[in-house]
Order: sequence, then C-alpha cells, then structure tokens
Amino acid sequence: MPRRAPRLRRAVQAEWTKLRTVPSLPWLLAVAVGLTVLGSAGALASVDTSQCPTPSECFEDTTKLSLTGIWLGQAAVVVLGVLAMGSEYGTGTIGSTLAATPSRRLVLLAKAVAVSAVALVAGVLGVLGSLAAGRAILPGNGFTSANGYEPLSLADGPTLRAAAGTVLYLGLVALLSLGVATAVRDTAGAITGVLLLLYAFPIVAGLVSDPAWQRRLARYGPMEAGLSIQNTTRLDDLPIAPWPGLGVLATYAGVALLSGLLLFQFRDA
Amino acid sequence: MGGHDPFGRLVLAEWTKLRSVPRWMMALAAVVGLTLLVAVFDKASDQGSPAEEGEPLQEPDFSDKFHFVHQPLTGDGSIVAHVVSQEDSHEWAKAGLMVKARLEVGAPYAAVLVTPDHGVRMQWGFEHDVAGSENGAAPRWLRLTRSGDVVTGYESADARNWQQVGEVDLDDLPSTVEVGLFVASPDAVVIKRQYGSNFVNETPTRGEAVFDNVSVEADGSSPSPADGEWSDYDSADEPDFGGSSTESDGVFTVMGSGDIAEVRRPFGDDLVELSLSGAAVGMLAAAALGALFMTAEFKRGMIRTTFAASPGRGRVLAAKAIVLGGATFAAGLVASVIAFLVSEATLRHTSRDPGLPELSLANLTVLRAVVGTAVLIALVAVLSLAVATIVRHTALAIPLVVLPLLVPSLVEGGLPLSVENWLTRLTPAAGFAVQQTITRYDTAIAPLVGLGVLAAYVAVALAVATLLLRRRDA
Repeated sequence: MPRRAPRLRRAVQAEWTKLRTVPSLPWLLAVAVGLTVLGSAGALASVDTSQCPTPSECFEDTTKLSLTGIWLGQAAVVVLGVLAMGSEYGTGTIGSTLAATPSRRLVLLAKAVAVSAVALVAGVLGVLGSLAAGRAILPGNGFTSANGYEPLSLADGPTLRAAAGTVLYLGLVALLSLGVATAVRDTAGAITGVLLLLYAFPIVAGLVSDPAWQRRLARYGPMEAGLSIQNTTRLDDLPIAPWPGLGVLATYAGVALLSGLLLFQFRDA
Repeated sequence: MGGHDPFGRLVLAEWTKLRSVPRWMMALAAVVGLTLLVAVFDKASDQGSPAEEGEPLQEPDFSDKFHFVHQPLTGDGSIVAHVVSQEDSHEWAKAGLMVKARLEVGAPYAAVLVTPDHGVRMQWGFEHDVAGSENGAAPRWLRLTRSGDVVTGYESADARNWQQVGEVDLDDLPSTVEVGLFVASPDAVVIKRQYGSNFVNETPTRGEAVFDNVSVEADGSSPSPADGEWSDYDSADEPDFGGSSTESDGVFTVMGSGDIAEVRRPFGDDLVELSLSGAAVGMLAAAALGALFMTAEFKRGMIRTTFAASPGRGRVLAAKAIVLGGATFAAGLVASVIAFLVSEATLRHTSRDPGLPELSLANLTVLRAVVGTAVLIALVAVLSLAVATIVRHTALAIPLVVLPLLVPSLVEGGLPLSVENWLTRLTPAAGFAVQQTITRYDTAIAPLVGLGVLAAYVAVALAVATLLLRRRDA
C-alpha cells in the first residue's frame, strides 16, 4: 500500500503534537532525566574503595553503579507511557482520535513511536548525565586507574553496551506502559500494574527463601532481567545474560502491546 | 450548620462512595491478595531447604563469656577498684567488678562495669541492665558490696563521693562467692564491600582494661589491699582471643573476649517480619485506592457537589481519611493475620536458625508487628489520599507515594549498609520497621519510631492538603 507510509507519518505527527503540547511533558522529561542522574550520583557518592578489603579487591562494576539511577528515572517514563493512552480515556478524547484516524492499529503504532522516541531521548540524556557523574565522582572515591579501574568511556565495548542497553530499556518500559494502559483503559490501574510488574519481582525475590525461586524471579522479572544489560563484569554469574535479559523485557512489552491492541480492536472505545 | 451536617453523616457519605465503586472494592481485595502473595510463595518453596530432621538444636539464650580475675569472699563484704583505662574494642565492651555465685557458665552474678560508649552500668541475670552515669567511662572508681543475697553497685569519680548505680537481690547466693575484676568484649559485625554488594561477618574482639587500687574487704575485718590469692577464670571459647591478666605493683591488666548478656542474633531470621513482608507489595493497591478516592472527585467534577453538600473542606478530607484509613486498616489486618498464620510454621521449619521458638499472635511483639502492618497499610493509603489532594493527578500521586516506600528496600545490598539505613530512616519506608521483632545487624530504626516517621509524613501531607483544598478553587 503506497499510501500507508504517509498515513502513518500523519498519525505519528498527530500523536507527537498531542504529546508535546501536554504541559507536563517537559516536566516528565526533566524528572526522568533528573531522577536518573541524581539517583546515579547518589549511589556513586555513597560507594568508595575504603569499604573494600583493599581498593583493588572491590571488583566493583563501575559502569553498572553509574547507571543505578535508572531505578528511579524509569518511574517518570512509566507515567509518560501510561498517560499517552490513559489520558485519552480519562478525558474522552479517544473518540475524536479514532474519528480522525479510524485505524486503531495505526493509532497505537503512532503512539508507540511517539512515546518511545521521548523515552529514548530521556534515556540518552539520563545515561550520558549518569556516566558523566561517574567520571566525575568515581576517581575521588578511589576508583582510579592505579587501583585498576579505567575511567568510564563509551569507547569501551561493555560500557557502550550497558549505556545503549539502558537507553533501550527505557524505550521498552515506555512501550510496556503504553501496552498495559491500552489494555486496562485506566490510568491508576495501569500505573499501579506497571509499577507492580517492575518492582514487585525484585521485592518478592528478596523475600523468598528458596534460592531456586530467587533465581527464577531474577531471570523472568522484567526489571531485573532487563537491567542485566548494565553489567560489564562477571557476566557468567548473572541469572540471565545481558541481551537475553533485555529480550525478556521486550517480550513483556510485546505481549502488553499485543494484548492492548487486540482489546483495543475488539472493544468499543 | 452543625446540626444539619454532623460529621458522622459526612463519614457515612464517604463510606457509601467507597463501597459503591466496584473497582475500589477490588483494590481493597488486592491489598489482601498481594500481601498474601509472598506468604504463598514461601509456602510453595517449602521443599527448598528443609532444616535437618530431628530435635532442633537448643542453644542457651544467653552468653556468659568473659575473663575473670577472682578470689573467694565468704560472708558479707565488698570489692573496690579503680578502672584506669579501657580499650575501645567495641561500644559494648565491659570492664568492671563482678560477684558470681560459682565459676560455672550460667551461674548467678551481678556486675558493675564501665563501657566505652554507654557509660557505667549495673547488670545481672543476663537480661537486666541499669544505666549509671551516662559519660562515666574510664577512669572511674567502682564498688560492689554483698550483704546477704543483696548486691549493690556504686560508682565514683574520686573514691570519696559514691553514687549507687543499682541494687539486686540474687536468690540463694552461697555464703562463699567469687568476687573480682572482669573484662569482656562482644563480637563485632564487620561489613566489607565486594562485587557490588555487602559481605557481612562477625568477628571476635578483645577488650583490655587496666585496674588499680583493687581491694577486697570482708565485713568485720580491717581493709586489706587485695591480700587474697587471685586466680584466673576464662569462659570465652575463641582460641585466638583467649583472655589473660598480669599484675605488677597492684596494677592489673586484664584482657578478655565475649559477652555476658542475652544472646544477640545479628543474622537471625526475623520470621514475623518475613511472613508479613508481602505488605510491601500489597500497599501498592492501597496507594492506588487512596489516590483514586480523591482524584475521582476532581476528575468527574464531583468535588463541587461534595463541597456544596458540606462546605467544610477540611472536614471532607478528614472524613475521607477516616473512611479510607478504616477500610484499608481492616483489609490490612485480614491480610497480615492470614499471612502470619499461613507462613510462620513453614518459615520456622526452613529457617537457617535452629531451635526458633514457636510464635503466636498472643505474643505482644508479634501482635505489634501484625497489627502494625495493618496500620502501615492504612497510613500509606491516607498518605496517597493527601498527596493526590495536593497534586490532583492520579498518575503523579501513585508514583510519588510508592517510589519512596519501595526504593530503600530495592537498593538492598547494592549500596553500603549505612546509606541504606539512612534511606530507611528518612523516607516513609521507615514505617516498615514496625514489622521487625528482633534486632539485627541491619536494623535501621526501632519499630514504633519507624511507624512514627511514616505517620509524620502523613500528618504533614494532610496539613498541606487541607491548606491547598481551602485555598484553591475546586
């Protein structure tokens, strides 16, 4: 269908206009980036080599430590992803949206493009800010080249994978949130649901006494599996390897979007 | 006005709103369901690591390890010594004087002692501890007198003005007891960081103290400067940390390890806390309900009807808080009682700690944790109500409430323990402390103090919400 591309472009443009004209968008972006960088800086500031037996025996994954703030920043991305669909139902504009673009598939696709683009921008800024914080703070806390910790650099393969993967992680979290919000059509329910999905797995894993279950929960929980991408050392000991871990999160996002789409297609708006 | 709009009717109106929205009742059910989730998980993973078969190992619930330089004392009498110095080997290291019925682990004793950080203390029976002067660290004069079964401890800065620290009646003290100088120093918890997480160990410490002017005096005879024969007794079982003593010219240097106290299990499993930990998940539903209970009014413009019916805006918020708090407390109580009953036995059998006592709801500490968990869930719901009133947006209110509650438990192990503890003390997550029933190495805050921190957040949020509700247009 030759006319398909322009239609998609127009739909994306429409969604992008909606998203960027919401007064809270700059705020949410700022909060996502700010929480990520501040959270990372806080984690970085609290760890120094004097807490280890000897500075060279810390075996600290400095890249992962520098990206800790994503645990906080992702909450803003969840809000963004949920609101993109939830507010349409909350205010009833979903009717007008579907009148303008009758293809529901197209509407959801356009929203997915717009939301993940914003999340990726937030991710790039947050990750770069966090890595900059790492470069600034780490040497002062004893993580120096002399102790065997090279300065963080995107030229380093594992660090680049962790950085790019964390950006993708945020994009997938946004898509997961959009999918859940489309399925449940309710802002409060969707936000609670996504926060549960992200945070409840690690909490339950921390409480369950059985190590086999702990490992299972760490392998298949969307957040812990997805953030496996942040590891740069000792990859063999991880419950799930970096890329397959991100794949677990992508599966969650895909299932959420797909079930959202199915419900969206076959339900009255 | 008061006659037409009694507060009771306002509360009833809010209750009607709450119970007539099916989704909200589902949220209440979710509080119960999610809280039970972890209990069910623990049940499911039962086969994981069963403790060894047979009788659980019964360990004594006290520790009686120290180094003692002693001599017998027959009949009434007293011992006096000047603690010249004490090494700061542990905040609870002990150096002082003791009367002990027999040289036998667990035998009755009374002691007056100095500590590096907790001043002068008088202790007996492993669980009794009376504080003397707060900053009475070494150098300090100590005196212990025995008269019949009564042992009295004194302290002094100058050996002239004596202050009584404590007095105890030790039943059936034999006529000849052992009196002398003792030193003890408990195991220290050492935390080292490696591979991005904390490794916690317990290592013995050795205390050291110097005494002079030691004198044992039997009543009726003239003062005699330590003329009895001194012997050493050591009940610590650390091979590398054995105690010892040396004496020259009446100056005693005593070294010793161990502790004379109730056993502290710094790494013990808090079974009650574990059984209730599902509340960390269940409170998400309570937070969602709390936010919706207010934002639904704003969204539908209902708030104007509500305020037209009862113009006292603060009273409307109060009524909402009472109804919401009551409903979530009830749901939380159902959840926490069931969670405790379901998982307590399983947890006890699979625990690494052998010989843990059976716990029941009749135990006051357990009851505090179980009821406290329901209060915790209710407070979270009301906090969410207040925050939602302030930000007037569900999507913002829920993460604003939930994130600070969850994050301290999420960073667990990833950050240094001191940072985690401060995060716990300062954020609303302090409220989870109410679920603790034992003191562990990682205990950040006392149970009720922690709940108080959360309650303070709720109070401040409610105050701000009331102010804004009055000032802003609905």
